[in-house]
Amino acid sequence: MTFVAEPEPTVPTVPTVSPDWLVGRDVGLCPCGCIGRRRRGAVLARTIDSAAGVTRQAMTADETATRDGLLQRLDPRTKLVGLLVLLLVASLCRSLVLLTVLYLFTVALAAASRVPVWSFVKRVWLFVPLFTAVVVVPATLNLVTAGHIVVPLGTWFGHPVGVTTQGLRGAALLTARVATSVSLAVLVTVTSSWPRLLSGLRDLHVPRSFVMVAAMAHRYVFHLADTVTDVYTARRARTVRPESTSGTRRFVGASAGVLFGKASHLTSEVHLAMVARGYTGESRSLRPPAFRAVDAAALVAVAGAGCLMLLASRAGLV
Amino acid sequence: MPASSDPADGDLELAGVSYSYLGRFPALDRVSLTVEPGERLALVGCNGGGKSTLLKILAGLAFPDSGTYRAFGHDVTEDALEDEQFNEAFRSRVGFVFQQSDAQLFSPTVREEIAFGPLNMGLGADVAAERVDDLLRLLELEELADRAPYQLSEGQKKRVAIASVLVMNPTTLLFDEPTAALDPGTQRWFLDLLDELGRSGKTLVVATHDLATMDRLGQRQVELGEDHRIVGAD
Repeated sequence: MTFVAEPEPTVPTVPTVSPDWLVGRDVGLCPCGCIGRRRRGAVLARTIDSAAGVTRQAMTADETATRDGLLQRLDPRTKLVGLLVLLLVASLCRSLVLLTVLYLFTVALAAASRVPVWSFVKRVWLFVPLFTAVVVVPATLNLVTAGHIVVPLGTWFGHPVGVTTQGLRGAALLTARVATSVSLAVLVTVTSSWPRLLSGLRDLHVPRSFVMVAAMAHRYVFHLADTVTDVYTARRARTVRPESTSGTRRFVGASAGVLFGKASHLTSEVHLAMVARGYTGESRSLRPPAFRAVDAAALVAVAGAGCLMLLASRAGLV
Repeated sequence: MPASSDPADGDLELAGVSYSYLGRFPALDRVSLTVEPGERLALVGCNGGGKSTLLKILAGLAFPDSGTYRAFGHDVTEDALEDEQFNEAFRSRVGFVFQQSDAQLFSPTVREEIAFGPLNMGLGADVAAERVDDLLRLLELEELADRAPYQLSEGQKKRVAIASVLVMNPTTLLFDEPTAALDPGTQRWFLDLLDELGRSGKTLVVATHDLATMDRLGQRQVELGEDHRIVGAD
């Protein structure tokens, strides 16, 4: 009788001998020295660095919320209701002069709240052209807004084309509205701590799911900015030769997918960490909101001024 | 073992628990485990063996595909945790320190971060603030109180993450790779803290690869194998 030994199970083993190319020196390496030919930093790198910087700046804005300024002394609910009223006024106001006054009032409020005025103005005006240009530029032409042409741009299919007075006025009105509205929203967010603001939203009966999404988005945005920077830096560390534009495009596309996956994973972890510590959708703060006489006075003042502005605008006084 | 006589500090019992991600990638396969009150347990095993998943199930953050999990005498299910009272009772008894501190630190300041748990437990702002101050002092975080958590070093982040859980004074503490990425000084600090928590009668479950942590924890080790099952226990 013969016995046949059972074959040993295959167990994956760690290779103990490194490949030759790994233990030898690569030949034909580029000489290690300067030749005086330089390239400017890639647009992509600058964009990513700037975006990450802006996000970091926005996240550190919470420090502004703790300063002893005018708006910081108000209850977040007062600020939210006041913001709503002023946003309505800005949307319904037809007077460029009044909108300009409202914008200047917002900047004055920022100064009184010890918000760095220059960076506040810069932050708003950086985004306003971006969001309004697409709508505003065509609207200045007589093709969209009929009127008196002040800047002729030639003819198109036999018709004169140009920028009209009415178009320019409409564009200015829209730009002023957007700038004022964005400024008001930014001002409220930089002068309120995030937990108190969320808590205020819940007190005003904003749906819990909305507040939860806002909370998660705010908590995640910094990690996202960091991840974008890390992914790009890791790639740059392994990029030996100049990249082609198409290569950069491919990288941006692929990175978007990777980021989505990472974002999804980390968001889920953050949410679990919140749930583990008893989070059920309610936002609570160490400093509970307190509605005082100064809040009532601020609300009355905002509502009164808003009504006056709207009446003046409707009556065509300004 | 300093077992508690309070029935609310009962065992954590997993019976035949299996779990897979997306229904395709197994993480745990018929795992049964009982953690007694006041016990110190080191969860060891290879990467991908299911240690983190097991901790998430013990923390009521993931739920078994099959098998049961009972804690403090009650079944812990997604449905049960939707009950407000049970959720509050369970969450205030079981604290979980995540491996990735960044995931755990989401508030604008260290102070708000530490206060998050007690405020959600329904403690008043004054009591929560008092507890936060105590923890800031205990963990030597006072100077960082008004800093943003993401501006801290890894060691500081870990201390804030631990403070944010300790402030709820849970009876059971779960740690996922607590000493990973910590410098030797912070590791020593953490092991001393672990000793103190163990002496105070807390139940400690620590998933770790770190030999020093295993030695210091000392009481019982459970090993998860590559097949996602318990392969050994001391």
